[in-house]
Amino acid sequence: MKNFSLAWRLARRELRGGLKGFRVFLACLALGVGAIAAVGWSSSAIIGGLRADAKQMLGGDIELRIVHRAATSEEFAYLSQTATKVSQSIRMRAMAISTIDTDKRTLIQLKAVDDLYPLEGMLKSTPAMSIKDALAMRDGVAGALVDPNLLDKMSVQIGDLIRVGKAQFRVSGTIDKEPDRVTSMVNFGPRLMISTKALAATGLVQPGSLIRYYYKLELPFGTNTKAWREDLTTKFPDAGWRIRGTDEAAPGVRRFIDRLTLFMSFVGYTVLLVGGVGITRAVTAYLESKTRTIAALKCLGADSKLIVSIYLLQLLCIAAIGIVIGVIGGITLPAALLGALADTLPVRPALALYPNAIMAAAAFGVVIAITAALWPIGRARQVSPRDLFRAAAQSLAQRPPMFFMAWIGAGVAVLAALVFVTATDPKFALWFILGVLATFGLLRLTGTALIVVSRRFKPGNALLRLVLANVYRPGSAAQGVILSLGLGLSVLVAVIQIEGNVSKQISERLPDEAPAYFFIDIQSHQVAEFDRIVASIDGVSGLIREPVVRGRIVEINGVAADPKNVPPESQWALRGDRAFTSTAEMKPDTQITAGAWWASDYRGPPMISLDDSLARGFGVDVGDTLTINVLGREITAEIASLRDIDWGSLRFDFAVVLSPGVLEGAPHSHIAAANATTDAEKILERAVTDAFDNVSAVQVREALQAAADLLEGIGGAIRSVAGITVIAGAIVLAGALAAGQRRRTFDAVVFKVLGATRRRIALMFVLEYGVLGLITGLAAVGVGSLASWGVITFLMGMEWTWLPLDAGMTVALALAATIGFGLAGSWRILGMRTALYLRND
Amino acid sequence: MTAKKSPLIQLNDVELTLSSDAGPVEILRGVDLHVGHGETVGIVGPSGSGKTSLLMILAGLERATKGSVRLGDATFDGLSEDALARVRGETIGIVFQDFHLIPNMTALENVALPLELSGRNDPFPRAEEALVEVGLGHRLTHYPGQLSGGEQQRVALARALAPKPALILADEPTGNLDGETGEKIMDLMFDTHQRNGTTLVMVTHEMRLADRCARRISIADGRIVADQSAVDAAAD
Repeated sequence: MKNFSLAWRLARRELRGGLKGFRVFLACLALGVGAIAAVGWSSSAIIGGLRADAKQMLGGDIELRIVHRAATSEEFAYLSQTATKVSQSIRMRAMAISTIDTDKRTLIQLKAVDDLYPLEGMLKSTPAMSIKDALAMRDGVAGALVDPNLLDKMSVQIGDLIRVGKAQFRVSGTIDKEPDRVTSMVNFGPRLMISTKALAATGLVQPGSLIRYYYKLELPFGTNTKAWREDLTTKFPDAGWRIRGTDEAAPGVRRFIDRLTLFMSFVGYTVLLVGGVGITRAVTAYLESKTRTIAALKCLGADSKLIVSIYLLQLLCIAAIGIVIGVIGGITLPAALLGALADTLPVRPALALYPNAIMAAAAFGVVIAITAALWPIGRARQVSPRDLFRAAAQSLAQRPPMFFMAWIGAGVAVLAALVFVTATDPKFALWFILGVLATFGLLRLTGTALIVVSRRFKPGNALLRLVLANVYRPGSAAQGVILSLGLGLSVLVAVIQIEGNVSKQISERLPDEAPAYFFIDIQSHQVAEFDRIVASIDGVSGLIREPVVRGRIVEINGVAADPKNVPPESQWALRGDRAFTSTAEMKPDTQITAGAWWASDYRGPPMISLDDSLARGFGVDVGDTLTINVLGREITAEIASLRDIDWGSLRFDFAVVLSPGVLEGAPHSHIAAANATTDAEKILERAVTDAFDNVSAVQVREALQAAADLLEGIGGAIRSVAGITVIAGAIVLAGALAAGQRRRTFDAVVFKVLGATRRRIALMFVLEYGVLGLITGLAAVGVGSLASWGVITFLMGMEWTWLPLDAGMTVALALAATIGFGLAGSWRILGMRTALYLRND
Repeated sequence: MTAKKSPLIQLNDVELTLSSDAGPVEILRGVDLHVGHGETVGIVGPSGSGKTSLLMILAGLERATKGSVRLGDATFDGLSEDALARVRGETIGIVFQDFHLIPNMTALENVALPLELSGRNDPFPRAEEALVEVGLGHRLTHYPGQLSGGEQQRVALARALAPKPALILADEPTGNLDGETGEKIMDLMFDTHQRNGTTLVMVTHEMRLADRCARRISIADGRIVADQSAVDAAAD
């Protein structure tokens, strides 16, 4: 305690010098802590918003959803008895056609609502009016509220008439806010809202059509929702409805937020680690300036422990300032951003102090500051007091003592543990940690290799010789530049290559193979006519049509199917209802990986042909069973074969194909796909949707464009976020180059004295920074490309292609950064009067 | 003529060899030296003769390659770096040619530092007293940068004297000062020695300063080549 009080007293005296030498230290730490605080806080605010608005987003205390059919009168009676209010809404896809110009038609998301809608929150429209008024029948025409996009898309205005199915609707206004709609990232059609009473007139409610019936319930105050749900399941075990409470109001958004948080967290960790490199360099530079003080303290009787305590305490004090700046910035900036974007976000963020997010960021800050400072402090600990008697240059020892290395190792372990604890996915956390260690190793190796090669390579040109000598001689900036800028650039390269590969996959590869249109909700009695119409249009080919029914996989090998029990990449198949088909013939080009396809005349017990990757995810093989629930009927089928499906190709395929006859009797519709030449596309759409009011046409190119647009938007955001790592790298780089400025000034003065022109000195600096930038850029491209290859090939299961243009841009960025920062610092030296320097030195 | 009092410093057959890129360099070659309590010793010799290295051995800052070093009851052989630091804090005051004050500490704090390090209860009153003794009672709160060279050396001297060490080691203490200021510093050092009976070992290349010591040791090529009383030396 006595020693601590002495160390604290001496540390305080040292701190009187102010924070001048700690700008890079503070910037690195504040940026790293800020990035982690921003990610944690934003995620907490959005999840907090999800919780706060859960009831409104769900539209009640409970939401029930049934596909294909409405609740029976017995079911509805039970719901009405046990709930205070029950509101029904019906959703489906449909085509809307302008009555003014019938060429203007679009796929829409149709929603029919009853008089009680919405149970929670308010629907806002332009012009402002009640829903009842907006959807009311006037002059024999029912009203509709539409998404503002629909007006542009169909060139209609408020008051115009549009046709949906067999019925016409008057556009009463546009929807500004739909309380129970969680903004989806991808919408393949704008919303059109009508009343349930007006739905019947459309003729769209057909057996087997993909119609979803929603029942939003308000339960009596104090109802135990868990018990209520259990009672409902007991009472109607075969209803096949999906029940959601307020704790799962927007699972898609939650999943998206979790994924985004995971990605952003890793960017945050990287920024922190890049900052760690800067901290080490800043502390080294500071302690190098303190060697005489340390030696003097030792001469006066201070032991090494006291020296370590004094400087560790000092740095912790300064770190505290950096952490506070980081936390404040990490909360206020995203709060301002989320506040400004609140209307466009799927969830209204709940702005509050989230202590867990703050504590986590602060913990990261403390651990990185200590771990990064231990190396230079350990070296400073070795400073010998005898240096005071020698005129020799004061420098820190090469490396800290062994027990310090153990402490540094412990710091790294604590950092890794913090990543594990705070990351939402431990597997990703492990890969991240291994990736970072490998990246550090590779960059370090690159730096060493550059120094070794520079030392061995003796060019004839004197200028080049001097440039290379600057790269390898003691005090060289090579390792610092490569590590500081290289780490951030590697992340940027990885992100750009991953995003570029995914974009390329969608925008370049698919259109060649993907069909032009999907047609959904074709009724069985319309099949023959549909086939005839499609066949009659020139330029249309490759028609494939399959029966389709919606259902859920409820059991795997007799055990209840729970998404939590399967790997993330297979969870989608268990999350809600999926499309199943039943067919006798195997499609050409099908790749069977196990088992065998059934005989075309097979009529035995139900069999399944399953997607090979899903089978792996479910842990099943040929001979195992899956139980599916179709319209309340459970069908257990044995897996006969496994198929390799390339979902990325958008080929018309089903994960679950049932043997012939299984769906017979079940109300089902048909789904079809066809290729068309550009000229034939619109003719095909018009011919089919004119002939069948209930059939919806999904233009694949439009859908792909929507996905591509979305991806571009996300890609831009991701690139910007990844860019923060480069900013952190640039700060560290600036610090690393500034540290060598004194030596560079001395060199420049000596060169001038010896007759070098300013141009020649400038050229030498440019070449030196250029060599460092080039090597850093190339190393980052190598490391980043390797990481992107791993992610694309193993994580996403896609084909990886190297994107040279993006890589080239990264190298150019590295060159610009090193030459820019380097020259910015050296310019002053070139203009400096040599005599003045010599007199002052 | 060597001191007959009980020795404070005992160096027996001390050798110091340092390694360099060009191979080992023998700095001290079999130095035997006994210095008694309260003696004043001037060490003289040409550059590179080993004067400063001998002082560093005495301060426990350099370890003898061979031979034994004893200061009072403490034998330096086998003591750890930190144990040697404690010995210095308790027994030795060092005055450097370059002062080596801590730039961001005031004169008072600089002088109090060794007292604080050795865990004394009254570091600041004692430091103030030491500064008053060297004539800097009015400069307590000044930082080194605000003091002249002579004042800085006086602070350094006060810092060395404040813990009342048994031994003062001075390495060219006036080397960076003009003649008049240097003289004043020397007066202060010898006054203190007379008042407190402190042992003083001073490295200098100025014979005039060495002559003020009771004993003069000449070093050449790492060996003691003469060990005389000041009177004998003056007679030579």
